Amino acid sequence: MKKRVLSILMAGALALALTACGGGGSDSKNAESGEKDSEQYINTYLYAEPTTMDPSLRSDQYSSEILISTMEGLIRMEQRDGEYEAEPGDAESWETSEDGKVWTFHLGEDRKWSDGEPVTADQYVYSLRRSADPATGCPNSYFVTPILNYDAVSTGEMAPDQLGVKAVDEHTLEITLTNPMPSFLESTDASVFYPQREDIVKEYGDQYGADAEKFVYNGPFTISEWVHNSSMKLVKNEQYWDSDNVDLETVNYQIMADASTIANAYDSGQIDTIDISSEEELQKYEADDSNKYTKISGGSIVFQFYNTTDKTFSNQNIRKAFTLAIDQEDMNEMGFGNLREPLYGWIAPAFSVDGKSMRDAAGDPLKDRKAELEKEGKTPKDVLIEGMEELGLGSDPSKLDVTYSLAGTDDWYRTFGEYLQQVYKDELGVNLKIDFTEWGIFSDNLANGNYQIGFMSWGAYFNDPYDMLSINMTDFNQISTNWSNPEYDRLCVAGATEMDADKRMDDYVQAEKILMENDVICPLATSVEHKFTKSYVHDKYEEYGEERLYFIHPGWKNVYTSGR
Amino acid sequence: MAKYVVKRICYMLLTLFTVASITFFLMRSIPGDPLASMAKTLPEQTKENFYAKYGLDQPLYKQYFKYMEGLVHLDLGESILYAGRSVTSEIARTSPVSGMVGGTALIIGTFIGVCLGMVAALKKNRWPDYVVMFIAILGATIPVFVLASLMQYVFAVQLGWLPASGWGKPVHMVLPVIVLGFGSVATYARYIKSSMLDTLGQDYVLTARAKGLSERAVILKHVLRNSLLPAVTIFSSSIVGVFTGAFVTEKMFSIPGIGLYYVSSINNNDYTMVMGTTVFYAALFIIMQLVVDFVYMILDPRIRIASDR
Repeated sequence: MKKRVLSILMAGALALALTACGGGGSDSKNAESGEKDSEQYINTYLYAEPTTMDPSLRSDQYSSEILISTMEGLIRMEQRDGEYEAEPGDAESWETSEDGKVWTFHLGEDRKWSDGEPVTADQYVYSLRRSADPATGCPNSYFVTPILNYDAVSTGEMAPDQLGVKAVDEHTLEITLTNPMPSFLESTDASVFYPQREDIVKEYGDQYGADAEKFVYNGPFTISEWVHNSSMKLVKNEQYWDSDNVDLETVNYQIMADASTIANAYDSGQIDTIDISSEEELQKYEADDSNKYTKISGGSIVFQFYNTTDKTFSNQNIRKAFTLAIDQEDMNEMGFGNLREPLYGWIAPAFSVDGKSMRDAAGDPLKDRKAELEKEGKTPKDVLIEGMEELGLGSDPSKLDVTYSLAGTDDWYRTFGEYLQQVYKDELGVNLKIDFTEWGIFSDNLANGNYQIGFMSWGAYFNDPYDMLSINMTDFNQISTNWSNPEYDRLCVAGATEMDADKRMDDYVQAEKILMENDVICPLATSVEHKFTKSYVHDKYEEYGEERLYFIHPGWKNVYTSGR
Repeated sequence: MAKYVVKRICYMLLTLFTVASITFFLMRSIPGDPLASMAKTLPEQTKENFYAKYGLDQPLYKQYFKYMEGLVHLDLGESILYAGRSVTSEIARTSPVSGMVGGTALIIGTFIGVCLGMVAALKKNRWPDYVVMFIAILGATIPVFVLASLMQYVFAVQLGWLPASGWGKPVHMVLPVIVLGFGSVATYARYIKSSMLDTLGQDYVLTARAKGLSERAVILKHVLRNSLLPAVTIFSSSIVGVFTGAFVTEKMFSIPGIGLYYVSSINNNDYTMVMGTTVFYAALFIIMQLVVDFVYMILDPRIRIASDR
């Protein structure tokens, strides 16, 4: 059972984001001839200092960004011809047992660490045990939760060596899961699955991973310099098994925390890539041909959700009215500055089941429901009044007392709050109150059921719709809607453990349908990364300037420059 | 004198103790914890294991006594956010960086500010005065982030002479020093001008002139020295500001200083880091106060006499 950690998901997202760079130049000799530059380097930035390189202790997106390029896991999720593909990492090949519970990975014998030591299955076993060990205090151990005996090990009831991981021989790793999990392979791309060397961990103790030289690397690059809070320099790792296919010699990161600084640095040529976060910047760079624009429609979404134990919102018609009164397209323009994409179902377009988009299979439930309502000749306001009458609250929406909770107090939230008030006044005639709080208070209020409508974002780390669906299951209730539906719970679990792809998709689609029909949540928009890169930056497999998949982690491995 | 110093040091320790205690309980009363936004979505057991590792599962009073005990031994603990980094080493690493940028800016800014202030006072109501006051008003009103962004745009994007941000080479210091120093220029120019105008009207200046001293001697020996007193007062808080107040500048120029670190540790609820830095600031501030008192005595005989009594 894996639950989602917002920051880690975003970690993946940002990692991808920052990883990218480039574009196809047309103004230089090398670009025309397609020749690679003799000096291969990239200058880029990180928004904040990575916390640590220790895969068992890190949890921020910045360390993830660095580890993706400096470490190698069992596999590497990449994009080939617009499709997801699991490329070999330390594992050359892998297979799963018929029941989907036992996964065997065959490690390549030429895999080495940056100090020349061989990569072995034991090091994978050690790493996973270390992360599961309660004494380690691993903040992202939930990625390990599907592994057999994890629950007992994490509470200390069982010793870490009882975890379902085993080195069959030096180059064969066997992982046993509690339940079948068809998406397990993709999840092993997470940093917590990277191997660790017991000798290095013991040598540096608490300091392990805190500095460039207090760590050992098995990925395409190593960290040659880490000036804390300032910069990081990655250099090509000659010991890396696939180093023949790595073009870049160095990647220079500078830590830049300010958006206008990043823009100035990009404009002055100090950095080769930029991720933008405002409509003005988007327009500015889109108009400039010397950049390539890469759009990545994300696996994270923003949505509103209802407290189904609240007196007013226990009524489904009222929830339905509040959901159908929203115009996603208008909100994206007015509320999100066109930086996101309107979303009409719970699962973001980035998710697929065995290569097929779940959004395509499930359609747009919210659009369908709006059309249905229109066919009945009703408006959301009629539905609201029906609900109010059912509850004996009269039939005057302006007297309805509703508070919308937002987890932020800055300008953006203020404006967004005003927008919501306007929408609900116009569409439903409700005088909405807005409660602005900091995240800590907001999340306490949710846990205590002390709210009516809330607004939040949520993302997934790897490509399995179960990641998004599971948070609404009775046992998890992670957004505190306090909603419970046995059929929904059953379908989620059935999908997650179903080895047949068509059946899986069907289970997930049915589950989402139940969720939407019960009006527990109202999806609003998908997050989108907007990346601009200088024209001389290229990627062998996922060229810049084209839309890109979300759940991939190639790091800098496939990048080169031409015509700098 | 010795008695005075001992008394001051005792007060200093008392103040530090109070600051540390208040900060400790204030930090803990803020909603959220080092697992911040992810805490809610982590499995319960993961959270418990994480809290246990840092002793956050203990009752608050126990954590408090444990922290205070460490403080007595000058042990500020280990950062919660940045595994494997001690707070002491982080302060030792980041504060010299802030000190270098801020110190250079302060010295250059103060020198220019004092000179401009003198010019303005001596040429009161003539064009040099208006120019200086215009600069001073600009310096006091332009927000740092606007000035910093403007500097980056002109010198990095348009002219390409200097890097927009970064750290490690002397060239990286130029823009931040200008941005930080501009504020000092403005502050000191205004203070020195008003204080000099005040001094120029004093009887002892009249006496000096009546004695037939050269204008140069009157200004440098009698007027300037006495006009510097208010500058010393603000100088002391400026020095602390060198280590603390440059948050925006450090953020905008990517300088790995302590100000940036302090703010990010507050945002991340990195308890030990916030505590350590606060105690460090408090100690620095108190020490500076002490130094200022001594400098006063050197500069102004009247204060010396008063404290001798």
